[in-house]
Amino acid sequence: MATVATHQDAHSGPLDNRKLLMWLFLASECLFFGGLIGTYLLYRDRSTDIDGPFAHDTTINGIHYTGIYDIPFTSVSAFVLLMSSVSMVLALAAIQRNDRRGLQVWLACTALLGLTFLAGQAFEFTVFVHEGLTLDENLFGTTFFVLTGFHGAHVSVGVLILLSLFVMAVQGKLTHKQSLNVELAGLYWHFVDVVWIVIFTLVYLIR
Amino acid sequence: MLELLAVVLAESVKSVIEKPSFLIGLPLLGLGAIGVLIALSPIELRWPERPKDLAAEIMPPPPGQPTAQVYIQVGAILAAITALEVAIYYLNIVQGILIAALLALSALKFVLVLLWFMHLRFDTKLFTVLFSGALLGVIALFMVVLVTLGSNFV
Repeated sequence: MATVATHQDAHSGPLDNRKLLMWLFLASECLFFGGLIGTYLLYRDRSTDIDGPFAHDTTINGIHYTGIYDIPFTSVSAFVLLMSSVSMVLALAAIQRNDRRGLQVWLACTALLGLTFLAGQAFEFTVFVHEGLTLDENLFGTTFFVLTGFHGAHVSVGVLILLSLFVMAVQGKLTHKQSLNVELAGLYWHFVDVVWIVIFTLVYLIR
Repeated sequence: MLELLAVVLAESVKSVIEKPSFLIGLPLLGLGAIGVLIALSPIELRWPERPKDLAAEIMPPPPGQPTAQVYIQVGAILAAITALEVAIYYLNIVQGILIAALLALSALKFVLVLLWFMHLRFDTKLFTVLFSGALLGVIALFMVVLVTLGSNFV
């Protein structure tokens, strides 16, 4: 295993290059999602189409427009993704304890929760399109769909990684010695979760 | 009467086909209903026997790492904070306080996941420096952009 011997501390063993690379990747992803969230915030409530759908309840010139966000539904989605992070870390704990059954169960559970989140997002997008909000309808539609769409794409990649790990675990190719693979997948998955924590607050909850 | 029923059924089928959201939602509801029926049925479901190779010796968690129980406790705290966020959203309070409270709770969740689930609390400090450096950089950059271009948010 390739290691960098200069950076060690009391709690960890030798620093693995793959883990370092993953953290560098996640740091760059911070900038990526920061750009998308910043753009959404910049163009919030600046839609040129005054009759177009609004995110939250809005009153313009005495006319009340009902917002299209369904907060109870999105809250459940956020909860599902949060719980998938718990199951992911339990999968890591399982492989570190050499518990192969636990690893398989928690990996499958995480992938299933991820798929549930994606199904919810597909449902939400479909409803929004029926309400008249599309990618090219107005600035709100463009920034919203690009931001949440890219997040959904990241979740989809994560689900594919999880399913690959699950198949490897079932075939017996993922053992205690390869726990770093699960740890790296976990880092990616938790990052996707923390991005949703920010999106849920800044995009959905703050009016 | 039968004619009326036929009309109602035809309209229901038509609305399902016309609205793709139903096409996605109904199978999910169906799956949920099957799950409830299985859970309520008197049939005893048996977990498959654990094969011998899977029953290999279970080891304790690595030194310095939390147990599964601790992870579940952190997950419960995160779920409670999410519930609190949603509850605050529905409170009729001053906009400034609402935003501050939501941002604080969101930051708390963010930090909890980073420290406990992503193991920054237990890993080398280099990862913390890398990630927090990028995070602070992006926050500073976009605060400048949002202030300069005059977003409604800041």
